[in-house]
Amino acid sequence: MSTLSEFIRARSQAQQTSERLPLLAMTHVIYGYPTVEASLAWMRRLLEQGIELLEVQFPFSDPVADGPTIVAACHRAVENQPQMGDCLQQLGQLQRDFPRSRILLMGYLNPFYRFGLTRLVQDAAAQGIAGLIIPDLPMERAGQFRRDCAGHGVEPIWLVTPATPAERLASIARQATGMLYCVSRSGVTGQKDGAQQALAEYLSTIRQHTDAPLAVGFGIRRREQVEALVGQADIAIVGSALLEAYNAGGQEAGLALLASLGMI
Amino acid sequence: MMSDNGYYGQYGGSYIPEILYTSQQQVQQAFDEARNDPAFIQALEQQWQQYSGRPTPLTFCANLTEHFGGAQIYLKREDLNHSGAHKMNNVIGQGLLVKRMGKKRVIAETGAGQHGIATALVAARLGLECTIYMGAKDVARQYPNVFWMRQLGATVIPVTTGSQTLRDALDEALRDWSGSYADSHYLIGTSCGCAPFPEMVSFFQSVIGREVRQQSLAQFGALPDRLYACVGGGSNACGLFLPFMDEAQVEKVGVEAGGKGMALGEHSIRLSHDLGQPGIAQGFASIFLQDDQGQLQETHSIAAGLDYVGVSPIIAHLAEQGQLRMTYASDQEVVDACTLLLKKEGIIPALESSHALAAAFREAGTLSPQQRIVINLSGRGDKDIFNVARAVQDAEFPQFLRSYLSEYPDNLQLASDAGQGRAV
Ligand SMILES: Cc1ncc(COP(=O)(O)O)c(C=O)c1O
Repeated sequence: MSTLSEFIRARSQAQQTSERLPLLAMTHVIYGYPTVEASLAWMRRLLEQGIELLEVQFPFSDPVADGPTIVAACHRAVENQPQMGDCLQQLGQLQRDFPRSRILLMGYLNPFYRFGLTRLVQDAAAQGIAGLIIPDLPMERAGQFRRDCAGHGVEPIWLVTPATPAERLASIARQATGMLYCVSRSGVTGQKDGAQQALAEYLSTIRQHTDAPLAVGFGIRRREQVEALVGQADIAIVGSALLEAYNAGGQEAGLALLASLGMI
Repeated sequence: MMSDNGYYGQYGGSYIPEILYTSQQQVQQAFDEARNDPAFIQALEQQWQQYSGRPTPLTFCANLTEHFGGAQIYLKREDLNHSGAHKMNNVIGQGLLVKRMGKKRVIAETGAGQHGIATALVAARLGLECTIYMGAKDVARQYPNVFWMRQLGATVIPVTTGSQTLRDALDEALRDWSGSYADSHYLIGTSCGCAPFPEMVSFFQSVIGREVRQQSLAQFGALPDRLYACVGGGSNACGLFLPFMDEAQVEKVGVEAGGKGMALGEHSIRLSHDLGQPGIAQGFASIFLQDDQGQLQETHSIAAGLDYVGVSPIIAHLAEQGQLRMTYASDQEVVDACTLLLKKEGIIPALESSHALAAAFREAGTLSPQQRIVINLSGRGDKDIFNVARAVQDAEFPQFLRSYLSEYPDNLQLASDAGQGRAV
């Protein structure tokens, strides 16, 4: 079993405090937004709160898989001319300061490709970054990347969606190691119960093909949504909603949201 | 040109978020079936003829030929397609494919508006819903096209993120598709994007080069010596060049937007100089204008249809293989070429196409009178009236605009009272 999934299992078991829901929290922060300093301060604050998994997005000029809030923040962050080398080093420092959490680096292919994918994996490993999430890198084209990751103990984290065909879903799920990123769309039709039913079926199908921890992100912004995941998934991802809260009221508003979700 | 599984050498491919996997596969399958189905090809050819007006002529330019005293100059008249550009060839093809796939809505992105208009026209004709994404800056610059798209029943959505131009419109269209693929098709306007779009768009555009072959043989009993096409995304260039790829003696010249200068942001030169770098973005691998951190950069051209940050993987590959020669023309050369064609031949070219003209005019005099060149006139220039009027510093045009506006002060008043005045 990989170190990332071991970490997730161990933390899941240890997490029996009454205030929090029994799921690990994965929060999303954009490196360089609104400034590099401010983003690092926000990451540090989240880690101080005991967030187990910190997903850091390296900004790209053309983030095609993201919604409007994240797109706007990425564009703003790009204006600050973020440097990949600096980002990796600073994340390494955070990882050393907060050994009880794990940092995952997410980003679109092109900035990683310019930096060099092999070099990225090496440097990420050297800095203790646990995993890499690249939404526009298809598994079919990732042979070398996966070998590099395996060689350096960094987890490549793949995404599945409710639209992923059954066979492909099974294949991706079987190859997942550190965790599987399960995207669920917020705009699922039907009433709430129907949607929850569909989500439950989706997750249990995935479960049939893998033991890897399941992380679910689907526009989580209310406590019921997190509650509905208990027992079905291991990790709840909060992305856009956290960014919106941060935009509206800074770190305090972000933390208030996480508290209301039962995640800190 | 057949790709190797969506790849042209190291370029092409399909780098899309997982959510788009199924719809990408659907398009691939539908296209593979359709291209081999005689009934589909027949329906396509019928629409090309009866709706768009194909075949378009190959026009000999006696005055220009005499003017330069070199090669015999011919124009392939894609400007005579319905809606005034080669874009129609592809939109008809994909429109028929949408019907075949049983989808009811099309999404498109547009820069200058030519592809948006062609899409809106065909959507109206085929009874499809239509949403067009257009950078907010382009909406302001090309409002007459926006006007027509809306009259045709399309929903035009100005994109206010990023550079507010074509690139951002493309990102938005991809996002729309991610949420709507069940009933919507993303009708890409050029030979870019994830597989199979580069191949498919080139397939539909290759009618240009096939006709040039036949017409050359019929009109002067030989193939042309040189072909010129402007390169934005690369669809009209692929359309002209691909049917000639087996003929090395026919030289192919692609012309990019040289813009105002060589600094990043002032041009759209991706291939004909060392300015573009290999990258993977917007669903495919190609050459992109980007900084050392892999951030895509802003571009410029006097022709909105050429200021794209990437380029067709097919063109990038052929250029790298030395199978076509890339060059560029500056905004100023382009305006000069446009004016020369107007005066000498009585044809109004699009500023995009004028890039091909500019490069050909530079070289025509160096060729012998036995040689023949064909320049692809990808579109007509009516849409460029505002830009050209400004570039030639026409004194009366601003006057005309002012008096035109003064004729309906009431409407303007109403719009601004309601707080919804639009840029004209
Ligand atoms: C008239 C005309 N020519 C050329 C182009 C450039 O596109 P492509 O390189 O795909 O032919 C455009 C794009 O809008 C256009 O409108």
